[in-house]
Amino acid sequence: MPGNITERAKLLPKGNHYAVFEIGKVFEHHWGRTINAGDNSLFTTLTLSYNPLYFNAEYAKTQGHPGIVVNPLLVFNTVFGLTVEDLSEGGGPFLGVDQLTYHRNVYEGDTLTARSTVKDRRISEKMKGFGIVTWHTEGFNQRKELVVDFQRTNLVRIRT
Amino acid sequence: MSLTGPGNYYEDFTIGDVYRHARGKTIMEYDNVATTLQVMNTAEGHFNEDLMSKSGAIFPHRVNFGGVTIATVVGLSMQDTGENALRELGMDKIRLKSPVFHGDTLYAYTEVLAKDDSGQKDAGVVHFKHYGLNQDGKEVFEGERRVLIRKRGPR
Repeated sequence: MPGNITERAKLLPKGNHYAVFEIGKVFEHHWGRTINAGDNSLFTTLTLSYNPLYFNAEYAKTQGHPGIVVNPLLVFNTVFGLTVEDLSEGGGPFLGVDQLTYHRNVYEGDTLTARSTVKDRRISEKMKGFGIVTWHTEGFNQRKELVVDFQRTNLVRIRT
Repeated sequence: MSLTGPGNYYEDFTIGDVYRHARGKTIMEYDNVATTLQVMNTAEGHFNEDLMSKSGAIFPHRVNFGGVTIATVVGLSMQDTGENALRELGMDKIRLKSPVFHGDTLYAYTEVLAKDDSGQKDAGVVHFKHYGLNQDGKEVFEGERRVLIRKRGPR
């Protein structure tokens, strides 16, 4: 490696900061994610989420489903995960979620995408250098049908 | 033969009951790091130990992703409160009260807040409040959850 490479390199930064989160601003988040059978099976068993709808295809069919149902908490986690670079990668702990609603079942092979809108923001009195931001996040399937939505609140750094 | 247990149908839940779920779960690196990255969460605080060990970070170590804390505590309660669920309806008032680190052990407690079976014949909605505690008894999570649970029906 040339001796000066780390000095010549310019950082390609990731994430946003408090100033970006003007109330009403909408983020159409990157990537999307197809949920495959392995994702659902691993997540469900690692979290001891023992409803056979999420890991027994024959049982799920007896309940009127075409096959295994994707664990709703994986749907929530994946839609949340897709929002992180835009909303919270800049740093600051995740405080809570309100009004989380599962609108539709997700099945293996479905592709999730995410969109968020800034709902509220204020400067934190307790945590110096941080603001508190609330976003409304919506998760969609490949037919653009709403599958989940929720309001998330985080501490967000005011500057790096 | 039944694939699900006999004691967790709609009729079995009584408003005001509180349960201590039998199993705890120690959060390991593979729970946090694997799940964080599996769900495309790019926040390094969950997977870059070097960054977190340097001054200026909020926590001294990688912190468990809150989504994993929520899913683990709800998961620990699932056999007792969702094994016979037809559908998860939603959650509310989720609060992450204190950070969870690799090696911490989570335990789950649940209170039955309300029930409503006015919507359909074969199932009803049960409204739970879940609490997650660590090995020191400190609360790390609480949140409400609404679940549509099958009725046992006439025997």
